[in-house]
Amino acid sequence: MKRKILINLVGILLAFILGALVMAIQGKDPIEAYYRLFEYSLGTPNKIAYTLNKSVPLVLTGLSATVAFASGPVNLGQPGQLLMGALFATVGGLYINLPPGLLIPLLLILSMLGGALWSGVAALLKHLFNMNEFITTLMLNMIADYLTLWAISYPFFEKNANHPQTPLINQNGWMPEWGSFSSNVIVMLLAFGIIWFIVNRTTSGYEWRISGQNSLFSRLGGVNVKKNYLAVMLLTGALAGLAGGLIIMAGPHRFIKDIGANYAWDGVMIAMVANTGVILTLVFGLFFAILQTGALGMELQVQVPRELIKVLQAVIVLIVVAGRGYFESLFALLEARRKMRGRTS
Amino acid sequence: MGDIIEMNGIVKIFPPNLVALDDVSVTFREGEIHAIVGENGAGKTTLMKILYGMQPADSGEIILRGEKVKFSDPGEAIASGIGMVHQEILLIPEYSVWENVVLGNEPVKFLDHLDSKKAREQVKAKIKEFHFNLDPDTKVADISVAARQKVEILKLLFRNVSVLIMDEPTSVLTPQEIPQLFSELKRLRDNGHTIMFISHHLDEVLDLSDRITVLRKGKKIGTIEAREATKTGLAQMMVGRKVIFESIRKAQKPGDILFEISNLNYTDADKKPRLQNIHLQVRAGEIVGIAGVEGNGQLELVNVIMGLIEPQSGTISAMGQDVIPQSILEKRKKIAFVSQDRGNMSACLPARITENVIMTHHRLNPRFTSLGGKVLNFKQANQFTLEVQEIFDVQMTSGETLFRSLSGGNQQKVILGRELLLDAPFILLDQPTRGLDVGSIEYVHKQITTMRSKQRGILLISADLEELFRLTDRLIVMHRGRIVADLVTDKTNITEVGYLMLEGMTYEA
Repeated sequence: MKRKILINLVGILLAFILGALVMAIQGKDPIEAYYRLFEYSLGTPNKIAYTLNKSVPLVLTGLSATVAFASGPVNLGQPGQLLMGALFATVGGLYINLPPGLLIPLLLILSMLGGALWSGVAALLKHLFNMNEFITTLMLNMIADYLTLWAISYPFFEKNANHPQTPLINQNGWMPEWGSFSSNVIVMLLAFGIIWFIVNRTTSGYEWRISGQNSLFSRLGGVNVKKNYLAVMLLTGALAGLAGGLIIMAGPHRFIKDIGANYAWDGVMIAMVANTGVILTLVFGLFFAILQTGALGMELQVQVPRELIKVLQAVIVLIVVAGRGYFESLFALLEARRKMRGRTS
Repeated sequence: MGDIIEMNGIVKIFPPNLVALDDVSVTFREGEIHAIVGENGAGKTTLMKILYGMQPADSGEIILRGEKVKFSDPGEAIASGIGMVHQEILLIPEYSVWENVVLGNEPVKFLDHLDSKKAREQVKAKIKEFHFNLDPDTKVADISVAARQKVEILKLLFRNVSVLIMDEPTSVLTPQEIPQLFSELKRLRDNGHTIMFISHHLDEVLDLSDRITVLRKGKKIGTIEAREATKTGLAQMMVGRKVIFESIRKAQKPGDILFEISNLNYTDADKKPRLQNIHLQVRAGEIVGIAGVEGNGQLELVNVIMGLIEPQSGTISAMGQDVIPQSILEKRKKIAFVSQDRGNMSACLPARITENVIMTHHRLNPRFTSLGGKVLNFKQANQFTLEVQEIFDVQMTSGETLFRSLSGGNQQKVILGRELLLDAPFILLDQPTRGLDVGSIEYVHKQITTMRSKQRGILLISADLEELFRLTDRLIVMHRGRIVADLVTDKTNITEVGYLMLEGMTYEA
C-alpha cells in the first residue's frame, strides 16, 4: 500500500519536473506557473467548488473504466455511453414535467439507462456473435457521436439556433446549486461510495475482481462468468451515462454539439493510472480536475499555454504506468538479494 | 584427462524470491560424460544456460582451459567450442538436413553466394565421421524426433564444438530410441568430446555417465564417480533423505459407487478423438488412479468432468445425478477439484490468500455471506483462512498477503484446504504434487489417504507411477484417449503399468 502511494507520488513529481524543464527552456518561470495553477483551481472556496464540479464527469467515467478493467471486460465505450446518457436525460427533461424532487432522480435514472443501453448493445454482440467488446465499444462510440449529433440537429433541434443544440430542459430538472457549489458533486460522491461498496464488499464485486484477474479460476470455482460480464457492462455503461446526464443537468441544461468533449477519454486515462483502484480513481479524478481547471490560470497569468497541462497529464500516466512495472521488479530484486544474504550469512 | 571447464561460486537469482543457484562450483574434465541430476527446479538447466551464455550469473566465474571467460550470448560460447542442445528442437522443417546444419555458418563462394555443393559435401563428411546414419537431403519435416535431435547435435559439431551440453535429451525420445542416442554420445566422448548431460532419470544417468553432479534446490550436493554410485544413493542425494517406495494405504473395504463415467466420447475441434468410450467408477473410500503418459486424454477427461468442454456422448454421474448438464457451481457441490495448473486453474495468484480460500465456499456456504448471499462476511472469511492455516499447516504471515508470495508447497496446501473443506463426497485430483518438494508431497499424500479413510471417493491423475502405487486401490491406464487397463494396484507392478502406458497393451498381447 505504502509502495503504491510512493510510486504514484514519484510519477507525479517527475512529471512536474519535466514540465518545469519545458517551461524553463521557453523562458517562463515554472514556480510562478505552478503557483498560478494551484491558486486558480484551489485558491478560494469558489474556485474549489468549480474544480469539484469539473471533476464530476472525470471521476464518473474514470470509475466506469476502473470497474470494467478490474473485472475483465475492456469497456472503452465511455465516450459513447456518456453521450447516450446525456441524450436520454435531455429528452426526458424536454418532455416530462414533474416537481424537482421527482424529475431530478428520474432524469438521473434515464441517463444511466441510456449509458447501460449502449454498453448493453456491446454485451449483446459479445453474447450472440462473440464479438470482442474492445472493438465493439470503440465502434459504438462513433455511432453514438453521429446519432446524438443527428438527434440535436433534427428531432430535438432548437428552432432558429445557429448551432446544433436542443432547447433548455425543464427547469425542475436542473441540479440545484448553492453559490458555485453544484449538487452534482453529491451525486458523484454517492456513486463513488456505492461503487466502492459493490467492488469491495459484495459477493458480486468479489467475483468480478477475481474474474478480472483469473477468469478460468473463477469459472472453475463456480462463478457465473457470463452473468457477471453482463452486469459489469451494464453497470459501467450506467456510470458513464450518469456522467453525461450530470453534464447536461448541472451545466448548460441543454445538449450542445461537442458537449462530451474529452471527459470520457480522460476518464479512461485516470483508470489506467489508478490501476483498478476505486479510491485512487477518485483521487486522480480530482487531481486531473485541479490540473485542467488551473491550466487556464497558468495561461492567463504566466502565458504558459493550457496545452502544457495535457502534456503533463500524459507524462504522469506514462511514468506511473511504466514505473509501476519497473518499481515492482526493482523491489522484487532487492527483496531477493536480502533473502539471499540472509541465507548465506 | 585434465580439467576443461571450471565453474566457481555461481549464484543466480530470479526475482522476486527464487534463488536458482546458490554458490555452485563444478569442474568438468576433458573427454568425460558428466551428468547433472536433480529434481525439477534444482537448477540444472539454469547452470548450463549460464555456461552457454544464455543467462548471466549474478556472481561467480567460469574458467575454460585455464582462462577466465564470460559469454554474453550463445554465439560466443559456440566460438569457444561449447554448444547446447535444448529440450525443444529448433529446426526449420521445410529445409533439408544439410541446409539446417549449415544455416548461419554457410560455406560461401564468390559474392557471398551459398556454395551448396560444398556445404552438402561437408555435412555428408561430418555425418560419416560421426556414424550418424542421416540422409543429408531429407527434409527435416519428414524425419523422426530422434533424427532431428541428431541434426541439432550435428549442427554444433559442424561448428567444431568440443563441449556438448544436452538438456534432457531423452525426454522427447521413445524408449527404443534412447540406446542409440547413448551409443552415439559415447562415441563422441571417445573422440575426445566432453558431454554434459542433464537428466532426472537415474537409470539413464548410471548407464551413460562417467561422473555425476547432484543439485538440490540450487545447491550442489556433490560430484561422484558413476561406477561408485547406486540408484538409491543418488535418489537420496537428490531429495535429501531416504525415499519410501512402498504403499501407505491401510486395507479398507470400499463403499457405494459415488462417481461413474459411462460411454464417454469427446472429439476436439480438429475432429481428433481425444476420449473414446471411457467407463470408470469410483467408490466411497477408494482411491482410483489414472496412469498414462501426459497427453493421452487425461487433460480432456478433467475438462469434461469439470464442465469446461462438452462431450459428444456419454454420461457422468456423481451421487446418482447426471452432472453434464449442470452448471459448474452445481457440480462443485459434489466434486472437489485440485488442478495440476495451480496458477491458472486452482488459484488467483495476484489476489489475496483469503480471497483464494473462500472461492466456491462463498456461494455454497451461507456462513460467508449476509443479506441473502449479496454481501460478503469478511470476518468469517478471515476466520476461515486461519482455520485452513491451522488444519493444513500453512506457513504464511496473514490472509491479507498475496497468494503469489507463498511458496509452491504452501500454495498447494491452501488449495487443498479450500477444496477438501468443501466436504464434497468426490475428489478429483489432477497431478496434485506436481512441482512440489518432497516434504510437501508427503504432506499431500497424507491428506489424500485421510480423505480415503473418511469414505470420500478419489480419482487421482498422475504422471508419477511411484505416487500412484503408493496411494491407489485401483489403477486405470489411459493410452491415446482409451482406457487400456483397469487393474487392482496390489496385483500389478510398475513394469507392467509402464509398458501399458507406452504401448497401450500388455506384453503378451
